[in-house]
Amino acid sequence: MKDLTQKALDVSIGQGASYADIRIVTITDEDITIKRGNIDVLNLTTRTGFGIRTIANGGLGFAGSYLLEPREIERVAKLAVRIAKASGVTRKIPIRLVEEKAVVDTYKTSIQKDPFLVPTEEKISLLMEADKRMQDFSDKVKMTESDFRAFREDKVFASSEGAYITQQITFCGGGISCTAIEGGKQPQTRSLPTSFRGDFSTQGYEYFEQLHLVDLTDKAATEAIALLDAKQCPSGKENLILDGNQLMLQVHESCGHPTELDRVLGTEAAYAGTSFLTPDLLGNLKYGSDLVNITADSTIPGGLGTFGYDDEGVSARRTELIKDGLFVGYQSSRETATILGLERSSAGMRADNAQHIPLIRMVNINLEPGDWKRDELIADTKHGILLSTNKSWSIDDKRLNFQFGTEIAWEIVDGELGQILKNPTYAGITPEFWGEMDAHTKDDWRIWGTPNCGKGQPGQIMYVAHGVGTARFRNIDIGITKEGRK
Amino acid sequence: MEFHKNLLTEKAKFILRIAEKLGATQTEVTIGLQKSALTRLANSIIDQNVEENHATIQTVTYIGKKKGSTSVEVMDNKSIEKAVENAVKIAKISPEDKNFHSLPEPLSYTHIPLKELVSKNTMNTNPEQRAESAKLVIDIAHSIDDRIKAVAGAISHGLAERVIMNSLGIEAYEVGTYSNINLTILAEDGKEQAAGWYADQNMDFSKLHLNEVAEIAAKKAVDGFGMQIIEPRDYEVVMEPAAFSGLLLFMAYFGFSAAMVQEYVSFLREKIGSKLFSEKFNVWDDALDKRATFRAFFDDEGYPKSKINLVEKGVIRNYAYDSYTARKDGVKSTGHHNKEEGRALPFPTSMFVGEGDSNLEEMIAETKDGLLITHFHYQNAVSPTEGIFTGLTRDGTWKIENGEIKYPVRTLRFTDAFPRFLGTINLIGKYQPINSQAYKVPPIKLPSFTISSIQK
Repeated sequence: MKDLTQKALDVSIGQGASYADIRIVTITDEDITIKRGNIDVLNLTTRTGFGIRTIANGGLGFAGSYLLEPREIERVAKLAVRIAKASGVTRKIPIRLVEEKAVVDTYKTSIQKDPFLVPTEEKISLLMEADKRMQDFSDKVKMTESDFRAFREDKVFASSEGAYITQQITFCGGGISCTAIEGGKQPQTRSLPTSFRGDFSTQGYEYFEQLHLVDLTDKAATEAIALLDAKQCPSGKENLILDGNQLMLQVHESCGHPTELDRVLGTEAAYAGTSFLTPDLLGNLKYGSDLVNITADSTIPGGLGTFGYDDEGVSARRTELIKDGLFVGYQSSRETATILGLERSSAGMRADNAQHIPLIRMVNINLEPGDWKRDELIADTKHGILLSTNKSWSIDDKRLNFQFGTEIAWEIVDGELGQILKNPTYAGITPEFWGEMDAHTKDDWRIWGTPNCGKGQPGQIMYVAHGVGTARFRNIDIGITKEGRK
Repeated sequence: MEFHKNLLTEKAKFILRIAEKLGATQTEVTIGLQKSALTRLANSIIDQNVEENHATIQTVTYIGKKKGSTSVEVMDNKSIEKAVENAVKIAKISPEDKNFHSLPEPLSYTHIPLKELVSKNTMNTNPEQRAESAKLVIDIAHSIDDRIKAVAGAISHGLAERVIMNSLGIEAYEVGTYSNINLTILAEDGKEQAAGWYADQNMDFSKLHLNEVAEIAAKKAVDGFGMQIIEPRDYEVVMEPAAFSGLLLFMAYFGFSAAMVQEYVSFLREKIGSKLFSEKFNVWDDALDKRATFRAFFDDEGYPKSKINLVEKGVIRNYAYDSYTARKDGVKSTGHHNKEEGRALPFPTSMFVGEGDSNLEEMIAETKDGLLITHFHYQNAVSPTEGIFTGLTRDGTWKIENGEIKYPVRTLRFTDAFPRFLGTINLIGKYQPINSQAYKVPPIKLPSFTISSIQK
């Protein structure tokens, strides 16, 4: 492999590049979905390719190809430099990368059971059992879905600065979902451990086994059926408690994305949007209550944002984003760190495949654990609602105005969980909302993994994670749906 | 122009032969070659600039009713052989799919002439030309007004070839080029920041309306100063085509997809023959129409494309089917199979909304208390079974009072149900000369659209 990476670097520098790097990546992705006892997806993807990134004439160029051959590497390296030179024409200030020690190293995700060595029959059998249990639970359960996914990324990164890093990242996980339908009532869905195909971790098959999907089926079906006759979530101001599987998305959308420095600096202005967290607010904006501490941490075992090095060869690290409620840091790259005068990149650059350029992507963006226990938090709430499992999300291009919906909610009266509420929604403005957080738990704090984060042009889908417990927010707008207005 | 039809066909036949030899009773193969380039603008410079070169093969094999599939990015025969072996191996251990009947049989196609799908100009576009185009739109935007602060957006083009073959005799090949420009232009006056957006797409790069897109987006940005806060409530609304097209994307996916209907997700379930919308609302899908943004004469399983009516005078007429979902409902496929990494979901890709005889000027003049919206951002389903969706305005929204545009407004969030806000339509306009949106949609004026919150 080294001869190929060296060729790419030599050709690039020979063509006039002041910097070059190459990533050679193979992605293996096993995807199984069972719907109502039928195989909906049973697919194995293998995708190999390379991407060369160069700086020439002050501009940045990137080109990639699937064809891993010396002649193609030469063609693509020349093209990458040509693109960089063309890009440089419009640059007022040449692109610069913050200093980073060139590393030669190898990293591999720690796994106990290689998911790609576990027979596919075993995975299907488990999913089929979960699916059948949901179907058999009641005639009201009309739709069922059970999901498994194992993903592996083998990549080599080499740079003209002398870095040569090989990494293997593996993640695995899944989930179940069922929809109850009866008469003219609105269908209701419950998904466990969370929605949108489940929960994932950079572990092996042992993580999928630990999810105990079959054991979750009765709970999912019971709650979906109960939701059919549940009271509509009321509208108004209410004390809100978010379960981890919703709180993680709240962190993702309203803390993760706005602290991405490329968004702040305008790179995503035309697509994903910008951010309200402009540089003048760094160290000055009260982002949330004193209890809000948020970090970007790519070192935590098990997170989907965990790795040895990012796609610029920067080692994994922990960066404070919000400290005691104050906005103190960004997720950054070598280029954006330079622009803002930061000493180092936060190691935030990743690409979703060989032929896509690395972008600042969330790693494990965590709401650091609080002091509460979940039971105590609920017991301490005189009146409120507990929302669980994301169903809908939307947030504006500056990451201020958000609206979320969840599959289920429970009313809390005098410190006890009460009746189920259907179609729960809530909305808010980011710093106002986080300013209302008055409690966050420690005992149920864990990392949630989602492989579905979209960004960039051409579009990229990245796997990221969020460590959260259960949190309470005071006086939040709830019940935003338009039900009954036809 | 040199393409790779023979190579792709030869590889596809190779795969069908191997699969049959390994015991597959039916096999479908899709082989695609794609070269694409995208120049990304930010802060009035070229910020990212990329080119990709892909070769993908998707193999779906059946052994009776048992299915296995693989997706690979290779072109050498040894790797291809392994991918087919894996697909057959997976099929062998897969449970039976009780709903599977057969892959589609061959049918005749209404071919689209090559000259209508492929542009030599697009194929020959190079990094320097993209950079020149970028420089042009940056310069134009800044010449519009001193307050233009930053030009952002993307200029892209590409060439895609694909062959779809199955063991029942389907053999379909197509090639096409595309190009696109979309600009988000930011303006600042020291007190506030405003944004404007516009876009164009064409299979011929040289025919993109670069100047007009830059001018329109820049003017929208400058017209955005003086944003005011309005109260969340129901307003009359005039939607530009991009705004309306953005909403229809969700109607296509969550409404007309037969899979969503069969899975109890769609708000159009059991609504065939029902009048849900205004009589002025007519929607059809036609990938063969010369005016369509996305054109094709077969879908992702090689089934022929044809025109289907989805809504006639407000009445729901059809869902979008592929052969699998069609079989379940006892109807014929409508040619809407869409496949990604083994997952398949039918939905309309080339929708048209019937034109009216109005125009934007008349719509504004007829609005007493309403909004003019450029486009939306981050739409999502709140309750798809009820057709309730949410989203935010972006890059230019103005308050209209007594027939005149009065002032721009801050970002607004809507939360509303399709059957409600499309239940009555005041006016529908004509298709615009610049193709800024995914679907062929005219501007529209509605009497009531619910703004649920506002960004202060």
